[in-house]
Amino acid sequence: MADRTPLEHGYSCQEVVELASEYLEGAMSSEQMTRFELHLNLCDGCSSFVEQVRATVGMARVVPEEEIPQELKSKLLAAFRDWTRE
Amino acid sequence: MRAYKFLSDDGRGVFSGFDWPLPNGGPGAWVESDVAACRAGIHACRTADLPYWVAGRLYEIELDGPVDELPLKLVAPQGRPLGRIDAWDTPTREAYGQTCFVRAHEFAARAQGALDDWAPTPDISFRESARLGFIAALLAERLGGFDAHLEERRRQSDWLVEHLALR
Amino acid sequence: MARLRDGDEHAFDEAVTDMYPGMFAVARGYVRTRSVAEEVVQEAWLGVLKGLDGFEGRSTLRTWVLQIVANIARKRAVGEARSLPFSSLELERGEPAVEPERFRGPNEAFPGGWRSFPSNWQTQPESRLLARETLELVERAINELPLAQRTVITLRDVTGCAAVEVSEAMGISEGNQRVLLHRARARVRAALERHFDG
Repeated sequence: MADRTPLEHGYSCQEVVELASEYLEGAMSSEQMTRFELHLNLCDGCSSFVEQVRATVGMARVVPEEEIPQELKSKLLAAFRDWTRE
Repeated sequence: MRAYKFLSDDGRGVFSGFDWPLPNGGPGAWVESDVAACRAGIHACRTADLPYWVAGRLYEIELDGPVDELPLKLVAPQGRPLGRIDAWDTPTREAYGQTCFVRAHEFAARAQGALDDWAPTPDISFRESARLGFIAALLAERLGGFDAHLEERRRQSDWLVEHLALR
Repeated sequence: MARLRDGDEHAFDEAVTDMYPGMFAVARGYVRTRSVAEEVVQEAWLGVLKGLDGFEGRSTLRTWVLQIVANIARKRAVGEARSLPFSSLELERGEPAVEPERFRGPNEAFPGGWRSFPSNWQTQPESRLLARETLELVERAINELPLAQRTVITLRDVTGCAAVEVSEAMGISEGNQRVLLHRARARVRAALERHFDG
């Protein structure tokens, strides 16, 4: 794949786009990171893209979480009381 | 070990965004790699690496701990910025970018039209010097193979070393 | 954990509330409706209580609980005769994060390069980025994802589970989990891009 081309080429934009999550996860080897950052440094388009992914994650983080329905919680508490009594 | 490090225009890590303790009359504080945004070490450049990492500000940096000498970068567990290379300012950055722009066009000219689509258009500002340096190296490569790419990067490094009075 | 074993009702209340988003997300990844997902969560808690004394702590409590949810949800899904969402088939199918037409072709100058750069969202007014309308769009986009992607992004990004927790709970490799996360984020990003760029 891309990792057989010279390190000095860095990744292409199309490759960066596919690797963005791995990069943000810190799941890359040192060599992959060099290729990735070398490219980010020279490409405003990809820098913007990676920032967009970061912003997307940031927004997902503040999406309200699912709340337990009161009825379900009552049922579970009842079950818990039964269980502790055993 | 002494090396160089580019930071963003506002003194942050280019990729980490880490707020570096900048030198002010004396060296900046030591930074440990686990502090600098969970990256696997402090990254720095030898002079040969500079063209790949061109960014807003340049500092001389002292690295400590076992320094990993990797292709295109140095990685160490600790580093502290010693002093800013003031010569690397906006005009110099643009001059470097312009040199790369001109080189790219020289290469394109040799191809008599075949590489015109690769030549940088005037809408690319000279300040985008990392990008222009890369384009110049790619054009060199289109004409002379990968060795020419590396040679062009060496030329760029020499330009920086000379104009910034490094080493 | 110890508090649960001691019969501490307050601790149970907390656990049930805190773990609900993750448990619901896992259940919802397999079953058809919200109400069935709630049933699965309820059944899972019964399973947790039954197994609590024997829990050896080899994984985190949350991972173990999510695994129980997944097991029960899977059985329900088979009962509903649905195909399982985390099949390797789905992962083998390619899904580029950005349509290939947005990049230059192999015979052009700068192959694989953007034809036109994505915009810098930092130049959007901050009020727009943080607006309720934008957040609702993100929520909608997540809800419209294919189930496996929706589950992973909800667990990882919305509820903050760790990669290893999600992959162990779902019974998929961390690599596959990352592929699903990547695709999910890519789709949500694309929805935001359409919104901002018009």
